Amino acid sequence: MTSLAQRADRDTHFEVEQFYYEEAALLDDGRYTDWLDLLADDLDYWVPTRTNRLRRQQTLAVAARGEAAFFDETKESLAWRIRRFDSGMAWAEDPPSRTRHLVSNVMVRHHDPAENPEFTADDLQVRSAFLVYRNRLEREENVFAGSRTDVLRRGEDGSLRVARRTVLLDQNVLLAKNISTFF
Amino acid sequence: MTSTNEPKGAATAAPRGALRRPADLARNIDVSGLVDTEGGLLDRMVFTDGELYRQELRRVFAPSWLFLAHTDQFHRPGDFFTTYMGEDPVIVTLDRDRRIRAYLNSCRHRGARVCRADSGTTRNFTCTYHGWSYNLDGSLVSVPNRDGYPGEFAPADWGLVEVPHVETYRGLVFGTWNSDPVPLRESLGDMAWYMDAMLDHDGEGTVVVGGVHKWVLEGNWKLAAEQFATDWYHVNMSHASALMLLAPAGRKPKDEVVHRTGRQYADPNGHGAGFPVHPRNRFDAQTVHKWTDYDALRERLGAARVEGPLTNGHATVFPNFSYLPVNGSVRVWHPKGPDRMEVWAWTIVDKSMPEEVREAQRLYNLRTFGPSGIFEQDDGENWSEVQAIAHGFITNGVALNYQMGMGSERHDGRHPGLTSELYSDAAGRAFYGRWRELMNTPAWHEGHEEHEESKA
Repeated sequence: MTSLAQRADRDTHFEVEQFYYEEAALLDDGRYTDWLDLLADDLDYWVPTRTNRLRRQQTLAVAARGEAAFFDETKESLAWRIRRFDSGMAWAEDPPSRTRHLVSNVMVRHHDPAENPEFTADDLQVRSAFLVYRNRLEREENVFAGSRTDVLRRGEDGSLRVARRTVLLDQNVLLAKNISTFF
Repeated sequence: MTSTNEPKGAATAAPRGALRRPADLARNIDVSGLVDTEGGLLDRMVFTDGELYRQELRRVFAPSWLFLAHTDQFHRPGDFFTTYMGEDPVIVTLDRDRRIRAYLNSCRHRGARVCRADSGTTRNFTCTYHGWSYNLDGSLVSVPNRDGYPGEFAPADWGLVEVPHVETYRGLVFGTWNSDPVPLRESLGDMAWYMDAMLDHDGEGTVVVGGVHKWVLEGNWKLAAEQFATDWYHVNMSHASALMLLAPAGRKPKDEVVHRTGRQYADPNGHGAGFPVHPRNRFDAQTVHKWTDYDALRERLGAARVEGPLTNGHATVFPNFSYLPVNGSVRVWHPKGPDRMEVWAWTIVDKSMPEEVREAQRLYNLRTFGPSGIFEQDDGENWSEVQAIAHGFITNGVALNYQMGMGSERHDGRHPGLTSELYSDAAGRAFYGRWRELMNTPAWHEGHEEHEESKA
């Protein structure tokens, strides 16, 4: 998809990558509450399911809004999910998994307000790819690969926050017994 | 190569040529000693043995009613959905006469799948290998190089193998390969009363949220099926973190949540359902709770159902269909070998629900159940844990305990059939009792000789 929006300059690109690396480190270190601080209060976080469709019906290959999703979250519901780890009884992550979030293929553009007036040209549209490796207990392994399409909002203090995130996991049947991390 | 028998009731006999499998390919194991329903013991071999697993495909899955889909997935002729019956791939579709039919998803020529999409709409199913093509009633309608076949070759003999019986119960579509099955409604027995608590709130029925959650679990399918039949016991421990979240912030789960009482229904056909009983049992999702007209439900379904299986609990329809009424989550545990299952989960909502109520139910379900759900994440962890160590020689020989609520089954005067306490293994014992019965009974596709042999 081509956008008329302006490509971000090198400094902005560097800033976004560093932002993502910081985010990945927080998730890998299990510092979920600190991760929440990187998310905007009006966050929309969506991970739809994907189906195998006949070629002529490819437009239906990603579940629509309101259909089956792995995550369909607000910042509040993510905070609710994260609170479960404080119980000391979240067995899916006790003992904790080892995860590594790798983020690459980062493409940064300025938002085009003509497309969506909710955001300004200071806000950024970013597409990236990720690979998340999970190693659990003795020899359990999962690899989650996918794309993220974000809108990062520029705050008045110059900081960035994730305001919109759509994650496409490159799987049909989820090849894992659960998803106990975030992307 | 495999030890399955030819499903004589299903396959169309070809007019030319004949194949006959050696009878001794399939060895049937007498499982009487592996399940002790009187003593409440189970041999862990039922979760790990490859031969028992193949016998399950022949004698448990092939003859039983298996969940296929929801009727709401089919609106126009040609709408289709692909799934599995046991390990057999099937296409479920609506034919030109608007009848839901199901076919083995395997070309009659070389055996490839004729449909590789999860769902969609089509006019025919064409094999991508050599191009044999079948229409919505399963007939073979196109054979490239047709002239190359002998004169007596008749396409009518080579249609898709059809699932001989497909029936629905309140929107749930089931099929069986059994040539002479007990009708679906009859096989559900008193279980239907419990199912109606989810499926029949107002006579308008249910619809399905688009899409199916599918994920893999390294565990035998029975671990999940028996848990949904019989196991409220695990809730407080397995789901401790989730219960904490549902409690008011900073507080422990309410006492009435942890120390619930209720009933568990144990069906002679292996079905089971358990539910807390409380006059104020309520849907957890507040939007759903506020919309719900409890008085109308009491009038339609009676207080016993509203205060029990309508608002909470778990259930399994034998062998591998389970549901959670409070979430509208319905699922199949597809067997994928003794050590592996694939979970396919749908969300259903009342057709009468306004959009915002449907959405609330959908979000509540995906945040609590499904692979990312705060409850279900921990179930996956426990089942894979049980399976991971079960192959150890000594471990495998140590019996498992299903003795809770032993002898407590009774007619309680409020719920149909035999019920036990909420915390009980009664439905688990019934589940494995039915499993044992089917495993020791030759199915319709087995020859007479074998029948005699197994009696000896």
